[in-house]
Amino acid sequence: MSVAEEWFPLVESVHVIAMAIAAGTIFLVDTRLIGLTSTRLPFSYVSERLLPWTWVAFGCSVLTGTLMFIANATGYYDNIPFRVKMVLLLLAGLNMLYFQKVTFRSVAVWDAGPPPSRARLAGLISIGLWCGVIGFGRWIGFVIGK
Amino acid sequence: MNLVAFSRWLESTPLSQVIQTTSWAIPGIQVVHILCLATLFALALNLSLRVAGRGLAIESSRSLAGRFVPAMGVCLIALLVSGSLLIIAEPSRTITNQVFYIKMALLVVAIVLTLWLGKVARSEPEKPTRLHVAVAVLCMLVWTGIIVAGRYIAYYIT
Repeated sequence: MSVAEEWFPLVESVHVIAMAIAAGTIFLVDTRLIGLTSTRLPFSYVSERLLPWTWVAFGCSVLTGTLMFIANATGYYDNIPFRVKMVLLLLAGLNMLYFQKVTFRSVAVWDAGPPPSRARLAGLISIGLWCGVIGFGRWIGFVIGK
Repeated sequence: MNLVAFSRWLESTPLSQVIQTTSWAIPGIQVVHILCLATLFALALNLSLRVAGRGLAIESSRSLAGRFVPAMGVCLIALLVSGSLLIIAEPSRTITNQVFYIKMALLVVAIVLTLWLGKVARSEPEKPTRLHVAVAVLCMLVWTGIIVAGRYIAYYIT
């Protein structure tokens, strides 16, 4: 077994744990944004308390993901699910950026009450994109070339 | 019937055959399993944080447990169903795999610790005790161990 093969399961495990914290907290914030959960808590409070966990976990995901990529760069580059996953990640980032820069500016108006349809849409898109990121992420392993 | 024979029998059942011969079934079930584990893990994290006096602390711990513990139960049921389907589809990966039994033992511990944390949260202690914080940390470590064991199952197939 090469060094990379020995370390791969461990790196993968950390990747899954980091993904679980990142995606799980994103789902909690998104469902609040849609108005389904935590409705008695202000949106800004929920996001302020959960998103630091999301960011740290996302950082760990990127780090461990990069390590996995380095171990087999050409394999990943040629892998269609990997490419789709990266595009979906980019779209999730753009959705979040638009939400933060545009929709979130009026948060004071809807923080404690029902979120506007724009905010709900951002939450729905985010959940959809992250499910896609996870789905295509799992799919990578089924079709990757060595 | 020993475990190997049981595993072979399971593999030959019609349900196993259907899952095995449907190309998208195993990856699809795995994705459902992963989405549920991510949600359950984030809920566990927030329950543990709340019991330790952190996280979504403006909500009473009683109210938070009332929302999160049942949601974790729903995730757990979905995990057990999707996990069972994965075992039925490929019993040789798990039935004779030691790591799988470590994962199941850890799962029992995680469920007990989570139920205890839920009980503590519902009693709304004024301040978290050292024991509360210790169990909250331990609970997250055990859930983490379950995820790690789950990933290592793939590397210890006999």
